[in-house]
Amino acid sequence: MWKFTLRRILIMIPQLFVLSVLIFFVAKAMPGDALSGAIEANPKVSAQVLEEQREKLGLNDPAWVQYGRWLGNLFQGDLGKSYVHKVGVTDLIGSRLANTFYLGVAILILTYVISIPLGILSGRYQNTLLDKTITGYTYLSFATPIFIFSLLVLFVFGFRLGWFPTSGSVDVGVQPGTWAYVVNKFYHLILPACAGALVSTTATIQYLRNEVIDTRLKDFVKTARSKGVPESKVYSRHILRNSLLPIAAFLGYDLTAVLAGNLFIESIFGYPGLGQLFLQSITQRDFSVVTALVMLSGLLALIGTLLSDLILSWVDPRIRMG
Amino acid sequence: MNTEPVLQIKDLTVSFRIKDEYYPAVDQLDLTINKNEVLAIVGESGCGKSALALSLTRLHDTKNTRIDGGLIFKGQDLNKLSPGQMNKIRGSEIGMIFQDPLTALNPLMTIGRQIEENLDYHTTLSKKEKTKRIYELLEHVNITNPERVYNQYPHELSGGMRQRVMIAIAIACRPSLIIADEPTTALDVTIQSQILDLLKQLQAETEAGIVLITHDLGVVAEMADRVVVMYAGEVVEVASVMDLFNNPMHPYTRSLLASMPGANAGQDQLHVIHGRVPSLQNIPRGSCRFSERIPWIPQTAHAQNPQLDEVSPGHWVRCSCYQHFHFEDEGKGLVMDGVAGAK
Amino acid sequence: MALLELNNLKVHYPIRGGFFQRVVDHVKAVDGVSIQIEPGTTYGLVGESGCGKTTTGRAIIGLNKITDGTVTFEGQDLTRMAHKNQHPLRRDIQMIFQDPYSSLNGRKRVMDIIAEPLRNFEKLSPDEERRRVQNLLDRVGLNPEAAFKYPHEFSGGQRQRIGIARALTLNPKLIIADEPVSALDVSVQAQVLNFMKEIQKEFNLTYLFISHDLGIVRHMCDEIGIMYRGRLVEQGNTDDIYENPQHIYTKRLITAIPNIDPAQRQESARTRQQIMVSYQQDLKELMDAEGKPLALKTISPSHQVALP
Repeated sequence: MWKFTLRRILIMIPQLFVLSVLIFFVAKAMPGDALSGAIEANPKVSAQVLEEQREKLGLNDPAWVQYGRWLGNLFQGDLGKSYVHKVGVTDLIGSRLANTFYLGVAILILTYVISIPLGILSGRYQNTLLDKTITGYTYLSFATPIFIFSLLVLFVFGFRLGWFPTSGSVDVGVQPGTWAYVVNKFYHLILPACAGALVSTTATIQYLRNEVIDTRLKDFVKTARSKGVPESKVYSRHILRNSLLPIAAFLGYDLTAVLAGNLFIESIFGYPGLGQLFLQSITQRDFSVVTALVMLSGLLALIGTLLSDLILSWVDPRIRMG
Repeated sequence: MNTEPVLQIKDLTVSFRIKDEYYPAVDQLDLTINKNEVLAIVGESGCGKSALALSLTRLHDTKNTRIDGGLIFKGQDLNKLSPGQMNKIRGSEIGMIFQDPLTALNPLMTIGRQIEENLDYHTTLSKKEKTKRIYELLEHVNITNPERVYNQYPHELSGGMRQRVMIAIAIACRPSLIIADEPTTALDVTIQSQILDLLKQLQAETEAGIVLITHDLGVVAEMADRVVVMYAGEVVEVASVMDLFNNPMHPYTRSLLASMPGANAGQDQLHVIHGRVPSLQNIPRGSCRFSERIPWIPQTAHAQNPQLDEVSPGHWVRCSCYQHFHFEDEGKGLVMDGVAGAK
Repeated sequence: MALLELNNLKVHYPIRGGFFQRVVDHVKAVDGVSIQIEPGTTYGLVGESGCGKTTTGRAIIGLNKITDGTVTFEGQDLTRMAHKNQHPLRRDIQMIFQDPYSSLNGRKRVMDIIAEPLRNFEKLSPDEERRRVQNLLDRVGLNPEAAFKYPHEFSGGQRQRIGIARALTLNPKLIIADEPVSALDVSVQAQVLNFMKEIQKEFNLTYLFISHDLGIVRHMCDEIGIMYRGRLVEQGNTDDIYENPQHIYTKRLITAIPNIDPAQRQESARTRQQIMVSYQQDLKELMDAEGKPLALKTISPSHQVALP
């Protein structure tokens, strides 16, 4: 197993290298740079100053020189400096990472807490009113774009009823380290987490429902019944475990996706996480931040694949990594 | 032979729902399975033999299946038991063996655990005693290294080993009835003969009744004491194994025997049964169901609403058409009758 | 001259292992099989699962990569030919698969299934194509209207006929039939086997008949090869194999066939027991250091056995 893991990690190195080249040059190929837009349009800034700035920042060097510099810094843990926020990208991401992590974990837990029981019930009681209600819900949430759904939630529970805050991750003036701070943080989390989870349950419920329906007809379930295993145990021991296998395969991706941030939810709920930062950085052409974030999600995706394989080989004895 | 009945099937009808209507796949079947007897149920796909096998322990999906009639087992009617009472009997009094041992075992559970599950529900043994019993059972089905197999998963075993494990599960609580649904169809021929030998050996020890469901007449000849031939949901012939092979009567039985390669050695063409097996919705009910497969036999030869008649002690045949039956090409001297006699 | 000749055919699959996934060993699925099939005859390749019989069949038609050895068809070595040059000969070798349910594409009409090989090799007008297909359907005993239906509308036996019609499309000389009837009921099986014999006579076809069912092989084949662990242990005509088997494995296979005479039950059980005992005693001596069967030795003009 460790051999397999180590080999996979080694294979990641060239993959990440290719990714870095792609990201860097695609970012470069986009029109404009950090000094375009707002700064360029400012009449107080002369073209000469701009040019000096570009020279100073190395933006006029050949692309491969810039790439080399960027990669060198990357190895030293220096992701460059945000042109917009005027702070190091590492710090910028770091401060957002915690928020994204909280939101991601909350969404993940909610998703599984909701979808696993619903998926199983729906599959077990196929074609009953219960199943039809659950399937109806999944169709509805599938058909509703996430931003419309989120806006609706925000409007109703945030603005109309005023039950929850409508933006931010914590109120201004709450002292970090106090219990009130934790509660406040959590309070801000509820609405975006629910909105995110309700939409992301769709796939899991449907998948699990189909798995349960398929597994229910398998021969080994018949064998279990022929041994006199009560129906509830037939489900919990035989059908459930086998139905959850494909879900386990996605868990690795889900775990790493927690850190990648959620573009829509964070933007709509004004939640200061990585997803929101990513969208802002693109609109502001903050390349150092964009490239860093894309690199990060690329790395996470690779780790996610590895994690998924490891989880699968752990839960399924038929898969053994050699 | 001891003819103490283990299971009496009385007027059993198993119907499947197709678009809100129920169609009997097994039609008004009466049958008795005796202690220490191998009763083979033979027929081709769609004849109802597997539906019958599953209905004996009521393993059908209750939503789309209806089971009517009596299943008298040790003085009680299984068809009247609650699901909980039925679970007490499944696995302890009645053991089942299925066709494909790979799919019939849970891929995520160790072999030991899968046998143990049976003991969990029907015995009060301690964990240690159960483990000991499982080792014994594995040895009993001729698995030489039970300690190792105990911790293995199904995919780590060969097909023959897996079927041995299935048998160990079936006999774990010493059932008085074993239902084996095509137990060797998925196995190689050398493994098949070993598994059949094992079943015979186990029966000699336990005196259990065995219902052997198969499409393979060779397996029947090797294993059965009595044979039930099914066609389109009905029993068409019941006979001792000797009678069935030496003196087959029903046109279907005779046709089936004639279509086996090797039945008429040296012959170029095998016997082909005219037409095809009717689907569940299209079974001609109320008349001789085989009549459309032997169109050269005049309609007058068939009985209306044909019943099973006892033509000699223990030999039952449905419909009167057997008295007038001949093969279509018989005059040409191509088809000989009575397989065993032909050899 | 033999129509098909396999000479020391080997199909090995690499097993990779270790940190760098280097090839550490080989699975020798087929390890030196030599067979000659005369035109118009049926050669039965028999053995249990995993013996390499299916791999051999697939290697001939190019579905498995050949590691070593030659496949000579009408005097030309198929293994030495570049892929394109093989085409004209490929027309002459067709395959029938085991499962008539999964080997036909369910989303294609019978017309398209049967015409597919035609479209690969010949350019016909739609009209000509339709006539050819309906002619073929007629030959396999199906209604010409069947061309416009989908596979699921047919029974197992009919589907296998469609599979045969597809194999016949290009007027092949050799048909490799891999367990063509093992998914079918006894009576349907009889239908398909009869039909295969009929068209063999009609078109002077040659069959390589791959099967685990010794009863069917006896009925169908002129020559038989018994495979075990990737090699032949015995080869001969039907009488040699069934009446005078020499290798203990062949004997074991034959005695394992259920006897359809219940009166001989005890006797055949006893024979089986005896054979099993000598199988366990003798097998080691009949295998080489690798645990594989020895080379074949000729014991009569038609009969070869892998004995020391």
